[in-house]
Amino acid sequence: MQPSNSLVIETRNLSKAYKEVQALKDLTLSVQQHSIFGFLGPNGAGKTTTMKLLLGLIRPTSGGGTIFGQDIVRDSVAIRSRVGYLPQQPRFGDGMSARETLNFTARFFFSGPGPKIEARVDEMLELAGLQDKADRPVNGFSGGERQRLGLALAQVNYPDLLILDEPAAALDPIGRHEVLQVMERLRAHTTIFYSTHLLDDVQQVSDTVAILNHGELVAQGPIEVLLAGGDKPVYTLSLRGDTRRALASVEALPWVSSVHEAAHNGVVTWDIGVTDDRAAEAQLLRHVLADEALTVVEFSRKKFELEEVFLNIVEGGKDGR
Amino acid sequence: MVANTELQRVELSGWRTGLANLLGKENRAWWASRRWLVQSVVWTVVVNGLVALLLLAQPAAARMSGGTEPTGPELLITGVTMLFQFGAFALAAGAIILVQDAILGERQLGVTEWILSKPVSRPAYVLSKLLAHGLGILVILVGLQGALGYGLLWLLTGEQLPLLPYLVGMAGLAVHTLFYLALTLMMGVLTANRRTLLGVSLAVLLGGMFLVMNLARFLGTFAQLTPWWLNNVLPAAILGQPLPLPIWLSIGSTALLSILCVAVTLAKFERLEF
Repeated sequence: MQPSNSLVIETRNLSKAYKEVQALKDLTLSVQQHSIFGFLGPNGAGKTTTMKLLLGLIRPTSGGGTIFGQDIVRDSVAIRSRVGYLPQQPRFGDGMSARETLNFTARFFFSGPGPKIEARVDEMLELAGLQDKADRPVNGFSGGERQRLGLALAQVNYPDLLILDEPAAALDPIGRHEVLQVMERLRAHTTIFYSTHLLDDVQQVSDTVAILNHGELVAQGPIEVLLAGGDKPVYTLSLRGDTRRALASVEALPWVSSVHEAAHNGVVTWDIGVTDDRAAEAQLLRHVLADEALTVVEFSRKKFELEEVFLNIVEGGKDGR
Repeated sequence: MVANTELQRVELSGWRTGLANLLGKENRAWWASRRWLVQSVVWTVVVNGLVALLLLAQPAAARMSGGTEPTGPELLITGVTMLFQFGAFALAAGAIILVQDAILGERQLGVTEWILSKPVSRPAYVLSKLLAHGLGILVILVGLQGALGYGLLWLLTGEQLPLLPYLVGMAGLAVHTLFYLALTLMMGVLTANRRTLLGVSLAVLLGGMFLVMNLARFLGTFAQLTPWWLNNVLPAAILGQPLPLPIWLSIGSTALLSILCVAVTLAKFERLEF
């Protein structure tokens, strides 16, 4: 049993290069036990490469990492005995039925007793909603059925860590919702490290997020912190009245980095970027209220949508290249 | 995750981790499906069917042309040559075709990636393919065809071959066929292209035979230590005809080449990325 706050995944400068292409560059990442860790990034950002490195399917060019304190290269087989993995496009043995595939998978982890393994297989078929298709060959499954079976296969061994590569990508909205529910339910028992491009899903279930772009980690942290602007918080002020004098004085404050102004129906809204969150929290509203010509309609710390954060970071990264 | 305590965990066992389960799956594919039956029928028709056809056609052709019918011992030479020279070639080609997908097909489909995400050692994956296909090929392609061939030759020529040389010949046939199994598995690891796999494997089979047949005098003893020489001399060994080198040397060197192929497969597969 691990201590409650221990790290399940830890990487240090993990890098992977293919000939001329740097697929992953100096990834330093930590994933806490029992977290649902969302791994975001545009296509080709290095998400799948990271997962494959963690599973020992590919070898790092430099750097390294541990899972459960064990080395991802040297102790790969031992690590995999405690991990469940759902590949991006799950493919299983040809000709086998869903039941046979689950049974085959379970027997990598359990030697018996047979009836208990069968019971676990039935449990997983029920979880995947595939009881009525249990004895059909997997080859004929739709993308969604394959994905649901893949998710069941990833859980068959009661894993301490689930690594899911785009778990909801091939699913319809109901299927997606079910996957998110399963992830929520599993949080108490396991750690989930998953990649996705469905930002709504991440916002719903993840507690920690990392954003990868062009093989580099560009943001990592608790989702609330990222949604609050991370280390660049923004405050929103909605005002009535003549704002010209107040605007000049706010812009002159040493911890204000930017002010974006927008007007609508006689209400002026400022998005004020700050460099010192404490100073802004304590002084910003007081500073504006000092101007008696103004009425403050609303004052709050701006809550970003994940999509906004993601696009800012990813497109900022592009600009910076 | 909180596991069901009634389930017994599999102990990790180094390079053997996952082998039993993988071997079970591969063996089921051979023996718990119709594969064994289909392969038995196909290779019986191809190998023993042709031997029977030849042994029945030769006396009939002689009768029709008014010539002398071949004697039993003459027919036996024809039958043994057909069974062990053409048979060795056909079974080698069969092994290549049967095994071409074993590793390469699974690699291309992403099945290998999925299997290796489980607690499975890489040697266990390769060995499960080698052992399961090796068993299937030995029993259906070599054992069954050899046993049927022995009975067929006796029945159609009236001559019984001495058992021991025949068993030595079958051992040679087995090693020859297993060499092509090992070669094809090795190619499945060395290339990701099916055409290259088939091209190289079949080129080794055909090109090697051509080289040994045409350049044996230039290649000297070296030629006699190759699988292609083995293919040529098996009938002579069974019929007790003189050979420049004892047959066990050709069998042994082919076995060593097969082991070399397996070693290369294991070493290369260890470094493959999925």
